[in-house]
Amino acid sequence: MTQYVLRRLVTSVIVVLGVSVITFMLLHGMSGSPGRAILGVQASAEAVAAFDREHGYDRSLIAQYLAYLGQLLQGDLGHSYKLNQSVNALLADNAGRTAMLAGVSLVLAVCVAVPLGVFQAVKRNSVGDNVLTTLTFVAYSMPVFLLAMLLIQVFALGLGILPAQASQSSSTFVIFTEPRAMLLPVLTLTGITVALYSRYQRSAALDQLAQDYIRVARAKGLSMRMVLTRHLLRNACLPLVTLIGMTIPLLLAGNLVVESVFNYPGLGLLFFNSLNNQDYPVLLGYTLVASVLTVLGNLLADLVVAVSDPRTQRA
Amino acid sequence: MAARTEGVPVVPGDVLTVEGLSTSIRLRKSAVDVVKGVDLRLRPGETLGLVGESGSGKSMTGLSIMGLLPPGGHIAAGSIKLDGRELVGLPERQYQKVRGNEIAMVFQDPMTSLNPTKTIGEQVAEPIRLHLGATPKQARERALDMLALVGIARPAERMGNYPHQLSGGLRQRVMIAMALSCEPKVLIADEPTTALDVTVQAQVLRLLHDLKDRLGMAMLLITHDMGVIARWADRVSVMYAGGMVESATTDRLFAGMRHPYTQALLACTPRLTQRRESALFSIPGSPPDLEHPPAGCRFAARCAHATDRCEREAPALTEPAPGHTLACWHPVEGPLEPAARPVEAAPKAADDQAGPVLVADGLVKEYGTGRLSLRRSARAVNAVSGVSFAVRPGQTFGLVGESGCGKSTLARMIVALEKPTSGSVTALGGALGELRGRDLRRHRRNLQMMFQDSLDALDPRMRVGAILREPFEAQGIGTAAEQLAAIRELLDEVGLPHSALERYPHEFSGGQRQRIALARALALNPRVIVADEPVSALDVSVRSQVLNLMKRLQATHDLTYVVISHDLTVVRYIADIVGVMYLGKLVEVGSADDVYLRAVHPYTAGLIAAIPEPDPGAAEPAGGLDIGSELPSPLDPPSGCRFRTRCPRAQARCAEEEPVLLGFGPGHSAACHFPLREPQPAVPAG
Repeated sequence: MTQYVLRRLVTSVIVVLGVSVITFMLLHGMSGSPGRAILGVQASAEAVAAFDREHGYDRSLIAQYLAYLGQLLQGDLGHSYKLNQSVNALLADNAGRTAMLAGVSLVLAVCVAVPLGVFQAVKRNSVGDNVLTTLTFVAYSMPVFLLAMLLIQVFALGLGILPAQASQSSSTFVIFTEPRAMLLPVLTLTGITVALYSRYQRSAALDQLAQDYIRVARAKGLSMRMVLTRHLLRNACLPLVTLIGMTIPLLLAGNLVVESVFNYPGLGLLFFNSLNNQDYPVLLGYTLVASVLTVLGNLLADLVVAVSDPRTQRA
Repeated sequence: MAARTEGVPVVPGDVLTVEGLSTSIRLRKSAVDVVKGVDLRLRPGETLGLVGESGSGKSMTGLSIMGLLPPGGHIAAGSIKLDGRELVGLPERQYQKVRGNEIAMVFQDPMTSLNPTKTIGEQVAEPIRLHLGATPKQARERALDMLALVGIARPAERMGNYPHQLSGGLRQRVMIAMALSCEPKVLIADEPTTALDVTVQAQVLRLLHDLKDRLGMAMLLITHDMGVIARWADRVSVMYAGGMVESATTDRLFAGMRHPYTQALLACTPRLTQRRESALFSIPGSPPDLEHPPAGCRFAARCAHATDRCEREAPALTEPAPGHTLACWHPVEGPLEPAARPVEAAPKAADDQAGPVLVADGLVKEYGTGRLSLRRSARAVNAVSGVSFAVRPGQTFGLVGESGCGKSTLARMIVALEKPTSGSVTALGGALGELRGRDLRRHRRNLQMMFQDSLDALDPRMRVGAILREPFEAQGIGTAAEQLAAIRELLDEVGLPHSALERYPHEFSGGQRQRIALARALALNPRVIVADEPVSALDVSVRSQVLNLMKRLQATHDLTYVVISHDLTVVRYIADIVGVMYLGKLVEVGSADDVYLRAVHPYTAGLIAAIPEPDPGAAEPAGGLDIGSELPSPLDPPSGCRFRTRCPRAQARCAEEEPVLLGFGPGHSAACHFPLREPQPAVPAG
């Protein structure tokens, strides 16, 4: 087990390194000089050149990348000239709120999607199943911003029962302290994942329902409810665990849109603003952190599956 | 349709009575009567065999009794009484108290019938807690007793195991322990041994029989295998296309059957005594489509005795003799005489002088076990370890052995789908291991393969025409018109209509699909066809059609076959030379008569003894030939002779020294230190 985890960790490091190379090259390839982006269009060419020289942007790309990598190894993600703060501090300030928003939405999504998927599988091809399939399809195919706009239109502008903007509090636990103000962002983020998870859960549950052991459990005299809770649920959830690990990037991307639309101060909004300001160090830092999260999420999902599925553990 | 005037009288003492049971399943547009007017009576301590081919409604009858019909299924008419209590229409809550408690069921496939993420102990204890209201501790103790009762060694240790850690035979024992844990009055065993090896089959059936006697249960034994019925059932009911055609005591049914279907079913069951020179009896055609059932007798279209009346009017169930019921207008008298029908074109005697067309020399295949997965150490499995044989042109080499003995791996190495770790295959003079790319592709023309599951082996999105054209295209042979002509000729040869070209594989029955697979293998006019379990997925009546066809094509095309099967009777019928494999090694090779009549290896003898003969009078196999336990893990094969752990004759020497192949007659050799007959050292092994 430890050997397996170690091996996976080594590959993870390689993946993250690869991501850093690619994003670094892409960002620097898109715009020639970060000096121009930072000093603005009005700055003179000399000033830009001086800035580039001062900060080492006149060196070759490879030299720049190696210098950046050297920083990274010391845990330094760089410095944002626009905001005049270290990237580490910027990310640390905002990470908690984003994690809270994403985490609560993820938990909610799983709590809704699992029973929904199992229900649809048991009642497959019934009216209820067809209605739910249609609804989840609509939600699944809807862009996040559109879902957010719709919710704002209905609940904030139409009914006027919920605020259109998220809480601006700097507290990490704002979701719990000001639930009303956070309901729409959470609903939006939950909505897009529920659609995906429940469709997945439905087909996983259908696969399991067709297995002989379900019929055997019925033949033992178990009621359908007992068969579902005691036998089906665990087996039908294993594929979902893997899916959750794989959808972490989706969740982060959803955060980006949701935080921008609802003006919620988190990593997503920070990234969005940095993108507009061409604040490369922040963009790079965020991308790296996101890739680390994705890799770790997948590793964690595989470990959870390994622990809960005896077939993957050979004695 | 069976016009019934009166029901089966309820004899006091019957534990289960089924009267006029009709079950139908709603499809999108129509409803199919999968069971139509079935009557059954079951007394305590009795085994009733329910026999029929797939689609005959035998499993649906079992599921109807359990109240576990698939979605859309419901009981349209009839009654099911358990101890006089009506089960049809019983509320679900009360039915749950019957299931697993008073009526229990054992299903076919033990590999998928257990929950993979729960321990054996939990699963066996579950019905005990549910029905007997036992505390977790009591249930655990009882589960432990049950595991011991079904003959599982070290039950306490097994309680904590997960299903994947157990072999198929052990899992089926666990299933039986689970089913019997509440001492049900009736046990329904639906093909309980069909997924198991023949040696394990005998053990499991004996266990079921003994437990039935001990607990005084009644058993409904559902099977397609007339051999299993003959040995284990007290009475037999034969089903065809959803209806019951004949019922009698086992002795009476086998000796004096009246229904032509029963007669034909028994006649096409291959036996060890089957003469190779005569074609196997087969029933023409295939069972009717139950969505559009025929108006009259459902067997009429395939029956040799059918008249106009049979096609118009369904025969009612009559009782020509006490305890013997029958639904037929033109009953027959007793079993068919073993017909001496010659194969339509007698196979040419293999040319003894000709050099071998296929030579396997010291073939070894090792697989590394998945190194990258969790908690597994890197170890090699020896799937095949040192197998050599030679096949002469026009001969059939039959390879038998239990599942996991490496016979399929060997087949794939012969057709170069798999690279041997060491050793070589020489086919038609070319060493396959040395051929690359283009040369290998050209060589493949002469080496074709047929697989067990023709539905898996035929691309579901390709029409049959495209499937049969593919070999020509792969080898760049002929123009489109020439290819089409060749394809039509192929269809004629395997007995399929030309209209098949435009249809998809799923539109055909299993037997027809195997004909398509055979046509595809024949397309390039190969010299050698390797057939891996070519008929094991087929019903017995269709199986004999395909075997007869294979034999006829061998004669007309001068083919050499390598036929791999776990079914010894199939190999007996089709093979000239038989090789017996055990854990990756060839333990005995010889002519079919040598191996079947004069077996020298205790393993071969044990395999043959385990086959149930479709004859209730057949003698019980001699006790000394019983093969105990199950195949050891190929990860860790026993030292010395690999068979010694199961061998009744094993001694100390067997653990120390690996036996080599010794000669026992011309072309007959075996690897055993204590063979059943004396070796003949004068004759060189080979």
